[in-house]
Amino acid sequence: MDFEPSSEQQMLIDMVRRFVRTEIIPLEAKLDPDASELAPEDYARLVQKTKAMGLYGIDIPVEFGGPDIDIVTRTLLAIEMSQHRAGLYVPCYGAFGGAGLAQIFEANDDQKERYLYPTLRGEKKPFFGLTEPSGGSDPARAIKTRAERKEQGWVLNGSKIFISGADRAQYGIVFARTDAAKGRGGITCFIVDSDTPGFHVRRVVHTLRSSSYATELEFKDCWVSDAQVLGTVNGGFAVANDRLTRQRIPYAAACIGVAIAAHEMAVEWSKLRETFGTRLSDRQAIQWMLVDNEIDIRTARYFTLEAAERARRGIPFRTEAALCKLIASESGGRVVDRSMQIHGGMGMTKDLPLERWYREMRIRRIGEGPSEVQRMLVAREILGASVR
Amino acid sequence: MKVLVAVKRVIDYNVKIRVKADKTGVETANVKMSMNPFDEIAVEEAIRMKEKGKATEVIAFSAGPAQCQETIRTALAMGADRGVHVLSDAELQPLAVAKLMKAVVDKEQPGLVIVGKQAIDDDSNQTGQMLAALLGWSQGTFANKLEIGEGVAVKREVDGGLENVMLKLPAVITTDLRLNEPRYASLPNIMKAKKKPIEQLTSEALGVDVAPRLKTLKVEEPPTRKAGIKVKTVAELVEKLKNEAGVI
Repeated sequence: MDFEPSSEQQMLIDMVRRFVRTEIIPLEAKLDPDASELAPEDYARLVQKTKAMGLYGIDIPVEFGGPDIDIVTRTLLAIEMSQHRAGLYVPCYGAFGGAGLAQIFEANDDQKERYLYPTLRGEKKPFFGLTEPSGGSDPARAIKTRAERKEQGWVLNGSKIFISGADRAQYGIVFARTDAAKGRGGITCFIVDSDTPGFHVRRVVHTLRSSSYATELEFKDCWVSDAQVLGTVNGGFAVANDRLTRQRIPYAAACIGVAIAAHEMAVEWSKLRETFGTRLSDRQAIQWMLVDNEIDIRTARYFTLEAAERARRGIPFRTEAALCKLIASESGGRVVDRSMQIHGGMGMTKDLPLERWYREMRIRRIGEGPSEVQRMLVAREILGASVR
Repeated sequence: MKVLVAVKRVIDYNVKIRVKADKTGVETANVKMSMNPFDEIAVEEAIRMKEKGKATEVIAFSAGPAQCQETIRTALAMGADRGVHVLSDAELQPLAVAKLMKAVVDKEQPGLVIVGKQAIDDDSNQTGQMLAALLGWSQGTFANKLEIGEGVAVKREVDGGLENVMLKLPAVITTDLRLNEPRYASLPNIMKAKKKPIEQLTSEALGVDVAPRLKTLKVEEPPTRKAGIKVKTVAELVEKLKNEAGVI
């Protein structure tokens, strides 16, 4: 039980913090408030630096060439990387490299050559096709997209919604029903190339995340060969379950980073701003808001580090991962909300990052499994557990 | 050729410093500390020399409390080979540090010493010069560019331009801001730094008197700027500059 970072972890934290402050934030000041990309030359320059730091591809498992660091350290660094305006969804504008989708690491050797490695090299971008108009939280029942057997392959028919980046991806991972009689056990995971006949992006869906947009996809007699089945037929949900659970931890960490950044701004502003002849920080109403921020941040941090530590030690962490995702996204929303309140009218302007965090943090309670589903997972654990 | 670099542990440059209530100094409790930025430039320059084959070993020196080891560790993570730490809880002024460094130089016999031109806490800008004097070595201060050959060619930042000097080795160099851009420590080097040795010494063992020669009377916050006024006309401005400010 040691919550203090080791001296190596602290050095890495300091280094990433400095990277964010000296490389990212000054560039960001010149970008559109809703930008999600750097200029290509800036991006290339920063990638060179993260490669020299040995931290490029930070989310890539070490066996696939990622840096050799444990999940606790990665979590501590993820908290640092998100502490800027675009940090919640594009930490450091991707300068630390992407990881690809969890499922693709479980692909067979042929698929790895065609999809995983090109993705890790930055040559191909994927999309993730799970959610459908009929729902996303309970995909086992909601998935209506069908895949029917035909000529050593499968014919896909159906649609997907809220899919990020599908119009710019070279391929995607698509879940479809292959056995109508079985619920969860009747879903298969396919890799679909974006130029496959019968697949198309039907429309763009705008959301409150104005830095990016989602898409709606259509599959119309879209034939893919057996070589495109990821994992086993009817075993779609078994692919990368462990990796998916792990993803909730950095997801929580990004929320914490943004909460810390918002809180720090609120503390500084409260010490500067005077109303009715006294500083905001002298007022108990404001002090308590700041204390509540502190409580929210510390709580989320402890819960998230606990989940990371359990994952690192290889002991069950499903419940902890659900809890940290739940707590960090909900408390992160409260912290940004309070910090905006303390800033008053200034907080709403696009001159400050608070309004972007406010909008984007709202999505965090829905994305990656909404709060209610996380609570459901924890409830199952509590109710299913024997006496401790 | 061995290169010795000095690294000072100072309050991090991002921290907004606060003067202690009793005005004896600035608040250092629970304040983030890091390596003096000018010393980072010194470390970077020494590592580049080693990478170019101009230096064989880079030794990082620091004097002060036990936590200075963290600062040395940072230099090791950047790429220095080993550390020397003179443990002392006393207030170390530039002359004391220069004397401690001289004792270490006598022991290690480096061909070059590189230090930051000043530390961002006391802004003394003295240690490098004092060390050169104590050693009787040549000195190249405010270095903007270094070139090692027979001696060391130093481009110095002086008022109004750059001055080129050629020094005989051994020499003491102090770094200016534009000498280089220090690297980020890399993950593999951070892991390796753990295994690199740090030798611990004391001023007593080195036979150096570190007693302060200067006494700090009082530390105060800079005065807050008074609010300005707006003038209505150029004539009024000229009048005020002449009669109130007395500058024209």
